[in-house]
Amino acid sequence: MKPIYLQLSEWLETEILSGNITAGEKIYSQYQLAEMFNINPATAAKGLNILADEKILYKKRGLGMFVSPEAGEIILRKRREQVRARLRELVKEADLLDISESELITMITAARKRNKEERA
Amino acid sequence: MNVIECRGLSKRFGRTVALHDLSFSIKENTITGLVGPNGAGKTTLLKIAAGFLRKTAGEIKVFSSPPFNNLKVSANTFFVDDNMALPATLNLSETLDAARRFYPNWDHRLALRLFDYFSLNPRQLHKNLSKGMKSTFNMIVGLSARCALTIFDEPTVGMDAAVRKDFYRALLQDYLQHPRTIIFSSHLLKEIEDILEEVLLLREGQKRLHLPADQLREYAVGLRGEEDTVKRFTAGKEIYRREQFGKNSIFAAVRNSFTKTELQEACAAGLEVLPVSAEDLCIYLTSRSRGGIDDVFNRN
Repeated sequence: MKPIYLQLSEWLETEILSGNITAGEKIYSQYQLAEMFNINPATAAKGLNILADEKILYKKRGLGMFVSPEAGEIILRKRREQVRARLRELVKEADLLDISESELITMITAARKRNKEERA
Repeated sequence: MNVIECRGLSKRFGRTVALHDLSFSIKENTITGLVGPNGAGKTTLLKIAAGFLRKTAGEIKVFSSPPFNNLKVSANTFFVDDNMALPATLNLSETLDAARRFYPNWDHRLALRLFDYFSLNPRQLHKNLSKGMKSTFNMIVGLSARCALTIFDEPTVGMDAAVRKDFYRALLQDYLQHPRTIIFSSHLLKEIEDILEEVLLLREGQKRLHLPADQLREYAVGLRGEEDTVKRFTAGKEIYRREQFGKNSIFAAVRNSFTKTELQEACAAGLEVLPVSAEDLCIYLTSRSRGGIDDVFNRN
């Protein structure tokens, strides 16, 4: 299972991507996050620091952490790379099972259609 | 700053060695989980830190002083366990009033609110409470005392699951508002690991591991599959647990020093890569046999 601080940083990324927290806005403090998720504040700080290291957040001395202007862009780039990596895994598995490229593409199209229907 | 510092701490009871050459330190304002099997020395260690017991050898400092017979340590320390010495003639509400006079940081409002929330009867005597209710009351006193060092030794004995959950939440909330050093010994690591900053694991009176709590679940990894393949991937690694699994399959828990690529190769070779929970890791690291209880039933 993923460590909690990674789950936390991913949750924060999603909050930023979905526009719940916008560029320039102050992000939750480690204490707020600890209370929200019932975790130790040191763990919450780790989650925040990952995002600061990736320049998604920036620190203002004595004021806390804020969402950087490039946050959305950086997260998107990172998430796209993750999709690519998972796709490579998937293709590997498909090769193992002798699923052809066109069959795989048909499967993807079908999955996208089903997700769209479920959302509607 | 360190609230507790131990160097080569040992404690013997007659011929029994309870603690042996223990060295560690606990930082101020952290929550530390103290875990280990029965008889590992958890209670002995906590009682020495609280100043209840005298050490045999080595050094221990609490708030920079030896804790035994030390007024400064006892004024700043609260020790919660299931046989706390409370005055037998006072009812619960009178006990709270008495405790209030002892501890300068006592929060009476918090005490009364918790008292209400857990529906305790103010006129009841402590000795007449059920096991779980006793633990609940002790926990309320321990939290409300707001001592700079608060020690909970198996505080949840007899508590039902709902009360335990409330307790963990109350502990975290109060800690966030009033940071202090908390040590918490428990056999229920799964329930408390998320609120811990560090975990100190003891085995047979010695330190087995002292790590940030969130590193525990990445510390080891389990591989399951064909025996030879598992052996190939775990060669040269520290093996914590090895279990036979079906005819030619085994499960092995090893130190997680694999790279991502190595783990992918293991998957590709047909092995299952399984996470090892903090609780399982602690069990593996403290058990006497690498096969666990199954070794008792295996004749070969």
